[in-house]
Amino acid sequence: MYAEFDLLTPAAVGGALDELAKVENEEDCMPLGGGTNLVVDLRARAVAPKVLISVGRLSGLRGIELGEGRVSMGGAVTVSEILRHPERSRFGPALIGAAQVFAGQMVRNTATIAGNICCGSPAADLVPPLLALDAVVRLECSAGSRELPLADYFTGYKSSVRKPNELLTRVWWPEPPAGSASLFYKLARRKGDAITVVGVAVSLARENGICTRARIALGAVAPVVERVRPAEAMLEGNALEPDLIEAAARAAAQQSSPIDDVRASGKYRRQQVFVLVRRLLSRAWRSLSEGDHP
Amino acid sequence: MSPSRTMTLAVNGRPRQVAVAANETLLETLRGMGAVEVKSGCEKGDCGACAVLLDGLAVDSCLCLTWTVAQRAVTTVKGLGTAADPHPLQTAFAERGAVQCGYCTPGFIIAAKSLLDNDTDDPGEDEIRYALSGNFCRCTGYNKILDAVTEAAQVLREEAGVQ
Amino acid sequence: MTDTRSEARGDANVAFRQVGKPLTRIDAPGKALGKTPYAGDYAMPDMLHAKVLRAPLPSARLKHLDVTKARAHPGVACVLTFKDLEKGTVATDIPGQTGFKRLNTDQQILVEEIVRYQGEPIALVAAETVAIAERAIDLIAFELEPMPGVYDMFEAMKPDAPRVFGDDNIVASYKIRKGDVEAGFAAAHVIVENTFSTQHIEHAFVEPEVGLAWVDEQEVVNIRSSTQCIEHFRNIAEALGLRQSKVRVRGAMVGGGFGGKSDITVELYLALLTRATGRPVRLCYSREESFYGHGKRHPFTISHKTGFTRDGRITASKIDITSDSGPYAYMSPYVLIYATEAGPGPYLVENLHIDSRCMATNNMFTTAFRGFGATQACIAYEQQMDEAAKVLGIDRLELRRRNFLKTGDPIATGFEVKSAVWTERCMDLAWEALGECTEASGPVRIGRGIAAYQQAYGRLVWLHDTAEGWVGIELDGTVVVRSGMTDIGAGQTSSLAQIAGEVLGVAMDTITVYNSDSSTTPLAGTSSATRGLYMSGNAVRLAAQAVRGRLGERAARHFGAEPGEIDFADSTVFVAGDRERSISLRELVAICASEGIHRAELAIFRAPFGDKLDPETGQGQVHPDYTFGAHAVEVAVDTETGEVTILKSIGAHDVGQALNPEAVEGQIEGGAAQGHGYALSEELIYDEGRLLTPSLSEYLCPTSMDSPRVQSIILESRSGLGPFGAKGIGEPGHTPAAPAVANAVADAIGVRVFSLPITPEKVCAALEAANSGA
Repeated sequence: MYAEFDLLTPAAVGGALDELAKVENEEDCMPLGGGTNLVVDLRARAVAPKVLISVGRLSGLRGIELGEGRVSMGGAVTVSEILRHPERSRFGPALIGAAQVFAGQMVRNTATIAGNICCGSPAADLVPPLLALDAVVRLECSAGSRELPLADYFTGYKSSVRKPNELLTRVWWPEPPAGSASLFYKLARRKGDAITVVGVAVSLARENGICTRARIALGAVAPVVERVRPAEAMLEGNALEPDLIEAAARAAAQQSSPIDDVRASGKYRRQQVFVLVRRLLSRAWRSLSEGDHP
Repeated sequence: MSPSRTMTLAVNGRPRQVAVAANETLLETLRGMGAVEVKSGCEKGDCGACAVLLDGLAVDSCLCLTWTVAQRAVTTVKGLGTAADPHPLQTAFAERGAVQCGYCTPGFIIAAKSLLDNDTDDPGEDEIRYALSGNFCRCTGYNKILDAVTEAAQVLREEAGVQ
Repeated sequence: MTDTRSEARGDANVAFRQVGKPLTRIDAPGKALGKTPYAGDYAMPDMLHAKVLRAPLPSARLKHLDVTKARAHPGVACVLTFKDLEKGTVATDIPGQTGFKRLNTDQQILVEEIVRYQGEPIALVAAETVAIAERAIDLIAFELEPMPGVYDMFEAMKPDAPRVFGDDNIVASYKIRKGDVEAGFAAAHVIVENTFSTQHIEHAFVEPEVGLAWVDEQEVVNIRSSTQCIEHFRNIAEALGLRQSKVRVRGAMVGGGFGGKSDITVELYLALLTRATGRPVRLCYSREESFYGHGKRHPFTISHKTGFTRDGRITASKIDITSDSGPYAYMSPYVLIYATEAGPGPYLVENLHIDSRCMATNNMFTTAFRGFGATQACIAYEQQMDEAAKVLGIDRLELRRRNFLKTGDPIATGFEVKSAVWTERCMDLAWEALGECTEASGPVRIGRGIAAYQQAYGRLVWLHDTAEGWVGIELDGTVVVRSGMTDIGAGQTSSLAQIAGEVLGVAMDTITVYNSDSSTTPLAGTSSATRGLYMSGNAVRLAAQAVRGRLGERAARHFGAEPGEIDFADSTVFVAGDRERSISLRELVAICASEGIHRAELAIFRAPFGDKLDPETGQGQVHPDYTFGAHAVEVAVDTETGEVTILKSIGAHDVGQALNPEAVEGQIEGGAAQGHGYALSEELIYDEGRLLTPSLSEYLCPTSMDSPRVQSIILESRSGLGPFGAKGIGEPGHTPAAPAVANAVADAIGVRVFSLPITPEKVCAALEAANSGA
């Protein structure tokens, strides 16, 4: 490959953080997870770091833990590991749905959950479901660590609160309880190995016929993947009648700010936010009323 | 300039010492070592022609930096079988018409092997489609590839049952 | 999933031993084992690596070019610009033609002054490593002054449009005048008018263009490349100022072509660099460079005005055809004549008026692509038939039935087709195979579509096409076939082995095929135009028959029988019906060798020769023969998202004689998949000549998850001009698939999207327009 850089392969997370601590300029050094985005960007000269720190195989960043009401995944957990996990049904169906439509097998075998978040692409497929599941990310540096909601992580197109010396080491979220449902739909130009045109994740909880928690997250229709809080607020505390779902879907479409690109126009994307939010909310709510949790 | 170092890379069970630069992809290293059965089609993970098994899991070798795969077992399509002793996937691809131009074939066989070894030894048609969606074939329309993987899976199950 | 109808066999007494059987292709095991070398897998000691500097703008003047820094960079062996070339131009004339040049298609090899498309090569570099070559490309200083360009084929017609080609931007034009169209329209009860358009399409072979060149001890420039056509050695020699015998092009197994490797790609750059450096040079395009480096499928806009009687008989047809050539000719004139000839489709049209022209623009240049203009024509005429059926209130299949050409009827150019025309049968069988209709639910609607076609095989008769083939038997009874034909993955070499094996009575595994070498294998012409099996298959059949004749004669003497009584099978030669009187082929060959009886033959096969069409009426013969068939499709359309899912896809084709039914299915299945992508997802998007989709994640071919099972219904009329009555199927398998999908989508949603691809967004827009009464 034409890009020139050094590649550090620390043996443990501590070593990686020590190397990151030396970083002065953000552009000079980048952590390398599965490489499925970064190697492409390097070849295209979209980025030109002097140093890469390989973290994709660090044991401290691997493993999926369930317990204490949480689903917790190391940053280097791959998409395939999510799909192959024996307890995957506890992760939240929206996340499984997103993992299932994630690229092709080889990329799924390599791409990591932290990498999908950190690449900052508005079309990153794992991010809408993680937002809908109230995921929290842990950022570590050699001096310590902090946790924050994924919803507060992105600050703009391909930018985030992560400091150059920090590593996204873990993602966790509350294990979805009984009486909740979540769904993800990826609208794309083809069915296999596709880039998302519109990604929608919803998550609902229901008690006594009332929606007690609503999350709607949209991918590929704004500079960042984002939640639609006004629409969520409209739903919470109410029974989800068709009119209300339609109003929430309209609010979601209104909040979206999609652009025109080679895959679709902004106009179509916005229209589809409405269609898909309405469709997924209806399905999720219906499944809860039927006592069936998708 | 990217630094270079000598490392051991085990390809198809044969460890070899190679000088590898930090910026080399596994695809470049393998082809440089003579493993030209690993094909290059897009160099960005869109076509799967360069797929190899890394510790038994199919990956796009164009997206792996070689330094990151030290100590791991690399298997190419040549590591699966030979003319005298072909792997059932190789036999089925050849006999079921799943091979046309053949340029994508090594990647498909690797991806199919990964499916059968890691996910299911008795895949349904949609499971095969799903496992192969990162492999691009322009000649066959995939029909006979589905046939070949189904047949090879059956042969492998029968072989396993006999043993 | 083949349905080979035995009652379709026109010649039941012919008992084939190998032909008609789904034998494992001779090239398949090596490919599955990873043993087969492709052109990119070769390397040589002391080899250099090449890169091409390409213009980032589609229309510009090269104001300044300075390669000093690049030349001085350590490890750079050579940098070539236009000024460094002895002869700056190369002909891009019809590739593989064994005779003289037909069109003036000379064009600059590297940019002299004017850049006419984005990606046009400006300079060539050869260096010690790929990385150094890339660095050298970065070190070339150049300045491009943007010039006004023309990016729309209709804009290109305007008098004030920028001139890209000749005086009027017209690269080629044709017309057909037959009968009396005005009278035909006057007699019509219904006149249906529609305009259909198609997009730029990429071949997307999985193996990007690649080659390796060196100069040998006889001063021959050797070029090993991934090509459909080794006969380029002549144009390359001319461009280099060398004798034709001093350039040798060798192929390898080709990693897909589909027309995109019919033209010269890397070969000339390699030849120039190896001559300049005296060292072997390798050039391998990246995927992105492949998008910029070879010609695309022509976008077409085709307008139909068709008159019908109330009961659905065509009274007149007026067709207007325009295609986008990009700035250079390449195959554009030929593609246009295919589209013109196929304009009205497989229908009898007595009053016909066609005007066609190919316009130069500053879009990417366009060239051969599977189907070669006849596909775009089919996309138009088959959608027009459905629209007409709707207006007339006649069943879509019935309307077609009432107008189909029959054997002996004249096609658009007046040529009467001598072979079987089984379009109707194919259509009925394909439609019937759709079976029970899938049930619609919620916003998802189900639709069905049919498309019938006429697709030529073989080349234009005025090109006087020929192919040679050589067959010989070794002393141990094994057979060798030599043919210049390239193998682009459709089983070309294997089919030659199967033919030779059939004639000589030996199994495929005792046959070795040497192919694709312009100096040592008999020249057979390009593997395109669905001519490989037809031309080279016949040449090898003729050669094998000649060998069989001589050996059979000797065997007859051996047995005291008549030569006509001798049969060949299982590597033995015997008196038919009396296997007791038998000799092994090996023994017979030994006898022949000792007596000096020639055990080999070089044969030539000549396609029918003819003259050009009458320029005023467009009447005459264009092609030797045609394949006919139909494709049926069932789709599900989500009317809210616009997503289309192909549920069923069935191709029914009269292939004349299936040499290898499994290989025929492969052509139908693969051709259909390309048609599915053509209809729904594939599109090279250019913004004022600049490509916005130069990757396989932006240019969307169908994946395994997008591809339904394709059912092949193979009919065998044994009426074709190929070996054993075969017709061609390489292109025909593809031709009707896209319009069948378009018709199915229109059937599902009740409104038509007139431009391909039918994206979800266009489906939604069409539904919206229909609902708002627009």
